[in-house]
Amino acid sequence: MRTLLLLVGITMSVEMTMAQTAKETIARVNQHFAKVKDYAADIAMNFQIPGVNIEPISGKVYYKTPDKFRVKTKGIVFLPKQNPYYALAMLKDTNAYTAILSGNEKTGNSNCAIINVIPNSETDLILGKFWIDNARGVVMKSQLTTKSNGTIMVENRYGNMLTYALPDKIVFTVDMTKFKVPKAVAVDLNSKSKKSNNESNKGTGTIELQFSNYALNKQLKDEVFTQE
Amino acid sequence: MFNLIGIELFKIITKPRSYLGFLAITLIILLIQFAFYIDGKQYLDFVFQSLQNSFQIEGNVMNGSLICFIILQMLIVQMPLLIALVTGDLVSGEAASGTIRMLLSKPYSRSQILWAKYIAGSIYTFALIAWLGILALGLGLLIFGNGDLVVLKSDELVILRADDVLWRFLTAFFVAFLSLSMVTTFSLMLSCFTDNSITPIVASMSVIIIFTIIGTLDVPLFDKIKPALFTTHMIIWRNLFDNPLPMEQIIQSLSVIVLHIAVFLSIAFWHFNRKDIQN
Repeated sequence: MRTLLLLVGITMSVEMTMAQTAKETIARVNQHFAKVKDYAADIAMNFQIPGVNIEPISGKVYYKTPDKFRVKTKGIVFLPKQNPYYALAMLKDTNAYTAILSGNEKTGNSNCAIINVIPNSETDLILGKFWIDNARGVVMKSQLTTKSNGTIMVENRYGNMLTYALPDKIVFTVDMTKFKVPKAVAVDLNSKSKKSNNESNKGTGTIELQFSNYALNKQLKDEVFTQE
Repeated sequence: MFNLIGIELFKIITKPRSYLGFLAITLIILLIQFAFYIDGKQYLDFVFQSLQNSFQIEGNVMNGSLICFIILQMLIVQMPLLIALVTGDLVSGEAASGTIRMLLSKPYSRSQILWAKYIAGSIYTFALIAWLGILALGLGLLIFGNGDLVVLKSDELVILRADDVLWRFLTAFFVAFLSLSMVTTFSLMLSCFTDNSITPIVASMSVIIIFTIIGTLDVPLFDKIKPALFTTHMIIWRNLFDNPLPMEQIIQSLSVIVLHIAVFLSIAFWHFNRKDIQN
């Protein structure tokens, strides 16, 4: 009995320590990002979406805490359904989730702690997995499993805005169903069907967002984020 | 010669059936634009359904360029029929009504008369295409605004930036004019062979309908026949909206179209110059 109690005690204390370490790591990320109230930046977007032939486009991007995000371009763009700071905004409230350190991994040149985050209440996010650079305290990669969107992989590359945890480049990889509509709907009656016996209709789409010329904390007005 | 062309144009203008094409085009375009103005969002939601599950699509998708592209997809198939209706009896109509003898007694050669008829037919074709362009693109842009063009295909979307669209439409209209000129020449050629005004019109329409059906059917049996059908090359205007442009395919189809025009015209002139006028 004493041995059993001892084992349970050790397990609980290990888990609490891991949770503590995980939350401490997340707190460092939050510290960096807390310096950002709003920003405006230039954005260049590149798309690799199966079945969609779309050229890169550039424009302006605006962000304001807690969750206002807007990309303004002159043309049509495909954006991830969640804004790029969706995960960071969620990590802010450390009481809203359970964080577990599940290991370490090298991502690029960074030694990262892998932290799993499970929300305590019912949200769109089912599970978040974050690769956090131990030395710099920034999220290098995250994998978000959501109810509405399946799995989304987000990879961040940092440059001179590292101290604010603002990446120079974000790459979203999204699970998707390949584009297909009936010929009659597309009024594409004369096209020839492509042979696709073994081809799956599932795929992954990638959106690259390249940020530059950040203008931080300029007290952006809410009107910037309203749809025109 | 200009005088002769003027006379031929006057003959086309005074025929009520010449306005059928303009009327049909106007009605169809206005109907499509009205339908998209009311229910376009639902249509696009259905088209983008699979993508909207994964992405948020931002920008003015339903714009004048998209509506114009959809109209062209629908109408270009029908337009040869409207053209044949007028150009199919350019010669045979005269034979049927008995005015061809009087026409040939004028101080012009038979070739000049046929050229005048062909040029008048081509001007009619051009006017029809120009009207299509004004209504489909001009009115479309006025109602729905400008923006990137989403080229709808059954298994692909090609998104062309707004500043890359106008020249494609203008070239597409020119290619459509060339394609329809082929129909003009074809029906004119048939018209030279008969003294009955209905036969070349119906024959032209029948050939176009049969060829179009064969071209539309996605059956392997027809795959080898399709490149030989002139209607297959008439839809090459759509390739102008591909990115990158399939130049080889476009040049090949345009060559086929020009070759057909030359062959049909040569046959028409050869026969008309030797034709025994009996009416």
